[in-house]
Amino acid sequence: MIYAENLTKRFNNITAVDNISFNINEGQIFGFLGPNGAGKTTTVRILSTLIKPTAGKVIIDGRDIKSNGDYIRSILGILTETPGMYEKISAYENLDYFSGFYSIGENRRKQNIEKFLKMFELWERRNDPVKSYSKGMKQKLALARALIHEPKILFLDEPTAGLDPESAFMVRNFIEDLKNDTKTTVFLCTHNLEEASSLSDIVCIIKGKIISISTLEELQNNKKGKRVEVIIKNGPDKFMPIFSEFKEIIHSEAAGNKINLTLENPETINPVIIKKLTDAGAEIVYFNEIKASLEEIYLDLIKN
Amino acid sequence: MKNSIKIFRKEIKEIIKNRSIWLPILAVSLMFSVIFPAILVFSLDSIVKDPDTANFIAKIFQNVGNVELAMLDFMIKQFMIFLLLIPAMLPSLIAPAAIVLEKESNTLEPLLATPIRTGELLFGKTLTSMVPSFAISLIDFILITAVVDTIGYTKFKIIPLPTWEWFVVTFVLSPAISFIITMISIIISSKSTDIRSAQGIGAVVIFPIYAVIGMQIGGLFLINVKFILITCAVLLAICPLVLRMAVKIFDRENILTKWKMK
Repeated sequence: MIYAENLTKRFNNITAVDNISFNINEGQIFGFLGPNGAGKTTTVRILSTLIKPTAGKVIIDGRDIKSNGDYIRSILGILTETPGMYEKISAYENLDYFSGFYSIGENRRKQNIEKFLKMFELWERRNDPVKSYSKGMKQKLALARALIHEPKILFLDEPTAGLDPESAFMVRNFIEDLKNDTKTTVFLCTHNLEEASSLSDIVCIIKGKIISISTLEELQNNKKGKRVEVIIKNGPDKFMPIFSEFKEIIHSEAAGNKINLTLENPETINPVIIKKLTDAGAEIVYFNEIKASLEEIYLDLIKN
Repeated sequence: MKNSIKIFRKEIKEIIKNRSIWLPILAVSLMFSVIFPAILVFSLDSIVKDPDTANFIAKIFQNVGNVELAMLDFMIKQFMIFLLLIPAMLPSLIAPAAIVLEKESNTLEPLLATPIRTGELLFGKTLTSMVPSFAISLIDFILITAVVDTIGYTKFKIIPLPTWEWFVVTFVLSPAISFIITMISIIISSKSTDIRSAQGIGAVVIFPIYAVIGMQIGGLFLINVKFILITCAVLLAICPLVLRMAVKIFDRENILTKWKMK
């Protein structure tokens, strides 16, 4: 659905986006992560034809964005980082205004306005001016605006920022449903790594250039130094010297009955460790390999 | 065109809700189209009895038959030039906010991300500024005509308005002035970073209109058919140039990237 090849954007001497390439299939959720100033917003603006790339090629829904701006904009919905609404008019009027720019029938347009206002629990307040809304309500309204024309591609920049936990949960569920029910492709820019890991099919970490792009599972598998947690009933201290015998163990640390190990090749080394410990008389209560969280992976990649 | 109308309808709704825009215009309109003409035409005979005024009229209108009618003609020319104020004032209040307000309220990016074209957006913004301006000019034209004709007929048994000059001013000169000021204001709005600076610069745009009014009041020249036709020709020639300039200057990328979101 979205194919970018060697995409570059320079502003005078600053390279905001440096030669990035990716491919997003229809219906996938593409988690786009990176620190502030990493080029996330610039990339979204290029893909939504708001700004032109300095170099590179982008094909969206089989069309080159350079010559098909009007079409591309008609199939995408966007929730910007700081979504503004017209504050003096009502939520209904805001949605009516924006949906009017798309080629959808009058009846479907009205049905969609009602559907999304009800879905985001704004229907009762639909005729109130937006300036009387809370930040969370405005965020939900902005999301409704992005969805009002049933776009094929949805660009979401921090979709749950400013929402209370219940609303954030509802929005996350909604994004998942979008993927399952409508095959909408979602380009999700977020700082919320938990959100990215629970929603994304592909995770792309960017800092000007792409640092990493793969599924969360691949990221976890590729991470150097896996973590293992061991709980030993009869105290861990006397068994600590065992770990220094393994060159695969990078780090070991005891805390109470628990030992945390950072090691390479857990698949081959774990059974050997277990055997050594039991032979030495350790009463192992718990031995578990802990998958690295996206936060750990992200911080690791960004730092390096 | 459909998208431009959509923009126009939404913005007019907002303007109607914003009294600070239309109340001053309404006040100025009533003042120049009803109160001043009524007072001046009604008190015409007492004005011409003043020796200084009589001397002034004698200098301007040589070999004049009826002094009162000559004075009435002079006053009508003064009212006509005030009629140019409205198409200049209203766009200078509305149009500078056209783009910069969208930037300030962070609605420009979602708006530009719709399939709307730059020309449609600018045309919609132009309509928002020009239609009320033309409507008020037209109402003022009708009101001045009604006031002047009523008093003129009652006192002198004549119906002085409308004249061809007035038709040209209302239907050609006023819209042309309105269009040019709107376009220049939109250019300023595209380049501005905040609404105050846009409106500040926008206020300067109507300075030439004040200058013309001042020159006429000061007796430096008197508006006439020749002036109106030459001005119309010049302004109509400028109209497509400012339109082209506005579309060229409205660069989506520059506007979005050179604007720091709040």
